[in-house]
Amino acid sequence: MTGPILSVSDLSVIHGNECPDCRTSTGPEVGTNTCASCGAVVACTDVSFDVYPGQVLGIVGESGSGKSTVLQCIYQDLAPTRGDALFAEFEQGDRSIWQANRRQRRELRTYSMGMVYQNPRQGLNLLVTAGGNIAERLLAADWRRVEDIRDTASHFLNRTEVPINRMDDFPAFFSGGMQQRVQIAKALANNPTLMLLDEPTTGLDVSVQAGVLDLLREIQSSKGMTVIVVSHDLAVIRLLADRTLVMRHGQVVESGLTDQILEDPQHSYTQLLVNSAA
Amino acid sequence: MTSVRQLVQDAGVSASAYSYGFLDETAKREIRRKTLKAIAIPGYQVPFGSREMPVSRGWGTGGMQLTLSLVGPDDVVKVIDQGDDAGVNAANIRRLVERTTGLSTTLETAMASIIQSRHRIPEEALRSDQILVLQVPVPEPLRNVERRVSAARVMHAERDYSKMWLALYEDIVRRGEVSFGAGYPVMVHGRYIMAPSPIPRWDIPLLNQSDALYLFGAGREKRIYAVPPHTSVEPLQFDDYPFAVEDFDGKSCARCGANDTFLEESISEVGMPRFRCSDTAHCDKVLESREVGT
Repeated sequence: MTGPILSVSDLSVIHGNECPDCRTSTGPEVGTNTCASCGAVVACTDVSFDVYPGQVLGIVGESGSGKSTVLQCIYQDLAPTRGDALFAEFEQGDRSIWQANRRQRRELRTYSMGMVYQNPRQGLNLLVTAGGNIAERLLAADWRRVEDIRDTASHFLNRTEVPINRMDDFPAFFSGGMQQRVQIAKALANNPTLMLLDEPTTGLDVSVQAGVLDLLREIQSSKGMTVIVVSHDLAVIRLLADRTLVMRHGQVVESGLTDQILEDPQHSYTQLLVNSAA
Repeated sequence: MTSVRQLVQDAGVSASAYSYGFLDETAKREIRRKTLKAIAIPGYQVPFGSREMPVSRGWGTGGMQLTLSLVGPDDVVKVIDQGDDAGVNAANIRRLVERTTGLSTTLETAMASIIQSRHRIPEEALRSDQILVLQVPVPEPLRNVERRVSAARVMHAERDYSKMWLALYEDIVRRGEVSFGAGYPVMVHGRYIMAPSPIPRWDIPLLNQSDALYLFGAGREKRIYAVPPHTSVEPLQFDDYPFAVEDFDGKSCARCGANDTFLEESISEVGMPRFRCSDTAHCDKVLESREVGT
């Protein structure tokens, strides 16, 4: 039995001046994530979880529950207030990735992780061609042959069903679904061990959603990639995730196997969530 | 008409009221200190307190400040503007050096100990006892790929040049080649990407492992940087799209006949394209040796 590939413990992100009451005056019991004493916004507190190699972890919750914050901390878009994340590919998991220096952080983002944002504008540079967007990651990894870069870029675009003849066009002129597929291709370049998906299908129409989800599932199973997927949509979680965390007001209210959580929810909020989806 | 010089004299100020080399001693000392730092970190842009010069910023004030802080009683100065000693700017800078130091200047590359230049490196190989000072309009090679100065500095600090490489890639995809004409970006000592000032590609190989010291001064942007002697300077290139200098195959200078120099194209009296050496001093030298020979 191998250990977890990523082990997050006690992750807290607090925007504003923290006070001793922040922990107790926010959360699902209180029904807010703004601290009544100091006014700080507590995005998430004491979030802990493990992800094992090849596993797909879902994080589900409503807007403002802190699920995207968790993902942004792992991808180092955001610095956590406290907490540790031990990642197998960073110093053999001896030191938290949040203690990495900027260079190490960039290496983690370039070689080990891929991120798909809800809005392709965040993940893509729309002023650079679709192929160039993928090339950016390869160039960061010191690729220096145009031919190899183009071969690899077209391989991943092909994989994500973006027509190869659009490779040298700007993603600004692509449809939303196609932009999202380019973003997935970009995240896949360099074959990351850990894929982070932040609401990958939100904002796409239903038929395109189904295509993107099929694609993600197919890629995940063929590569055995470890994935963390954040969504407010239980259908996405049901389709992709092996295990699921349910978050509300910055805290994890329930966690377990996806089937278990969806079929037999224990926490009243999860029950509400499952019932409203049905 | 009253000349500026006359006006200055009428106001009771004489040229001798200025310090040796125009700049005051503290200014010279600061510029020398920053120059030493620049030499110690090849390709790194060192900020300096660019002084007011008697010409507008952007007219070679960075190069002038370097030259005037370096110049001593044993120096011979040469100034060229795009290869041409007779350019108005070159002639004026030369005259300023003469007036404020009492030194003599030269047009011959081999005679000079300090050569200030704009947009060209002399064709003649430089020696270890020579310093080439280049005037720089834009010292930041990442200017076109990253607009925020703070972000560009971080990129330099972390040697994170993927945006620059991406720009080259996009260039190749769109145009089939890297389209930098003048000021082709180079990697200095495997560490910093540097803007070599708008010299043609032709001159880029001359920066690599040179015997002479190259100094770069940007007066408006307040930066000094350097390529010390025997430092590796490599143009950014992809393995399958190698860097190439300008192609003058089959063309030669209409004046001296040289076919191994950087040529400038102009239109002759009869409307035909005509090529001439851009480095006029070198052209004169070739012409002279030919006349002596025949």
